Amino acid sequence: MAVKRSTILWAAVVAAAVVLILLWKPTVLVYGVQRAGLYAAVAIPMALVLGIVHIVNLAHGELMMVAAYLAYFVANRLLGLDPFVAMVPVALVMAAFGWLIYKATIKHALKAPELNQLILTFGLAIAFSQIANLAFTSQSFKLSLSYVSASATIGDVSFGVFDFVYVAVAVLLAVGLRLFLQRTRMGKAALAVGQNPRGAAIVGINVDRTYGIIFSIAVGLMGIVGSLFLTKQAIFPGVGGPYTMKSFCLVAMAGVGNIVGVLYCSLALGLSEAVINGIRGYAGWSNIVFFAIIIATILVRSYRERKR
Amino acid sequence: MLTIRNLECGYGRLPVLRGVSFDVGAESVGLFGPNGAGKTTLISALLGMVRPTAGTLELDGQNLAALSTYQIARAGIALVPQERELFPAMSVADNLELGAAYIPHARDMIDERRESVLGLFPILKERFRQLPGTMSGGQQRMVAIGRALMANPKLLILDEPSLGLQPSIVAEVFEKLAQLKTSMSILVTEQNVRESLKAIDRGYVLENGRVILEDTAEGLLHNPHVISSYLGI
Repeated sequence: MAVKRSTILWAAVVAAAVVLILLWKPTVLVYGVQRAGLYAAVAIPMALVLGIVHIVNLAHGELMMVAAYLAYFVANRLLGLDPFVAMVPVALVMAAFGWLIYKATIKHALKAPELNQLILTFGLAIAFSQIANLAFTSQSFKLSLSYVSASATIGDVSFGVFDFVYVAVAVLLAVGLRLFLQRTRMGKAALAVGQNPRGAAIVGINVDRTYGIIFSIAVGLMGIVGSLFLTKQAIFPGVGGPYTMKSFCLVAMAGVGNIVGVLYCSLALGLSEAVINGIRGYAGWSNIVFFAIIIATILVRSYRERKR
Repeated sequence: MLTIRNLECGYGRLPVLRGVSFDVGAESVGLFGPNGAGKTTLISALLGMVRPTAGTLELDGQNLAALSTYQIARAGIALVPQERELFPAMSVADNLELGAAYIPHARDMIDERRESVLGLFPILKERFRQLPGTMSGGQQRMVAIGRALMANPKLLILDEPSLGLQPSIVAEVFEKLAQLKTSMSILVTEQNVRESLKAIDRGYVLENGRVILEDTAEGLLHNPHVISSYLGI
């Protein structure tokens, strides 16, 4: 099979960047990949919803926050479970919550102008964070788990290894969703609905139910991601907002519904952030670089599409 | 089979169908008329995409007016839409499979139906793994017809199947329809009356939302109104 020249070029650029980073500061590569894993794990469920239900869920990060609080109480207060175990009931409860949100709100806005949909999900985001604020105050909650500080040493270089969990989860989510969408009857129906809802209804697919199931799966996955997030990060009502923004940017950069593309884009952004953080005195620039890369990618893609 | 009585529907306050009645039994029926006559609105009403304001729509005694599009498809009506409505990023194979996967009376016979469709349209065998978007308009139409046939429908509806196709492909499409009419009921709306009369048993002429003429294919071919308005003689 012929490989495109642009693919070879990109592979060469990435390989060169990896070698340079390894020669400069190997830990930058490790932390870049780990950060990419977290971004991808959070963004993939949003890509699923955008690709099939065609709605930008601005409450995405807040759903992660809700899941993290739920995991905190299941893990710490109610059942005394480890977050890795708690993620199972949390995912199930979040999936049910997702179904409820879809039926009560999203469903009614699907045929409305996109601006209305944005306002709706923005409203949900505000509601979730304010309810969390009222219920738990703005004080942050954090678990103290010994295994999150596990480290490894290769040669002279020592680094934390726990965050590779995010990488593993991101890859599992991407591969799992790809298999679900391409190999199962429900997944193929979801792809069909995402590509052509009218065509899907004509062949007997219940479009509304499919939207509901996909939204519910995405929110259930946020249950897993939120539980994992809790293992190492402090949670507070506003913790989800930045992740909504970054997830949306990643999904836009990867292209609508491109789940595997989210992995690549997360890797590019995670590495670039880690590189900036690795330069002494320039750590504050990492967010600027993050968004500059996204803007550049979208501009290049728009330019290419205009040329076609 | 399909019974429509005094059907009225429209868009907002604009009435399009004004008391349409007709039947489709175990036969092939054509529905003719100029642009704006109401043919596509009638199809939309049959598929639950437009709600009737009056009248009845029944398939084997089952009231269709209360059902959603997907329930009507599951009840046994398969549509080949004017715009084809394929799944552009899925292969021909997946498009065909989805034609049957959600139809209760067809999902257990997918392999059998696929063989039958590929026998009818051998070109689809060659294009089996191809994306529909990379195929010609005629081939896409064949995928759309094939997808509808996968559902093993009681009633196959084709909305303007010749639209946008070159004459040789139009002739091929109607030849295939003529082959199909022995095994299922067919309702076809067309502006290309000359070609479609070869594939149907009976036809209705719809103008300004009303049925103004009903006859056999032979009768329509010799009807002065059809000759002057639709056959261009």
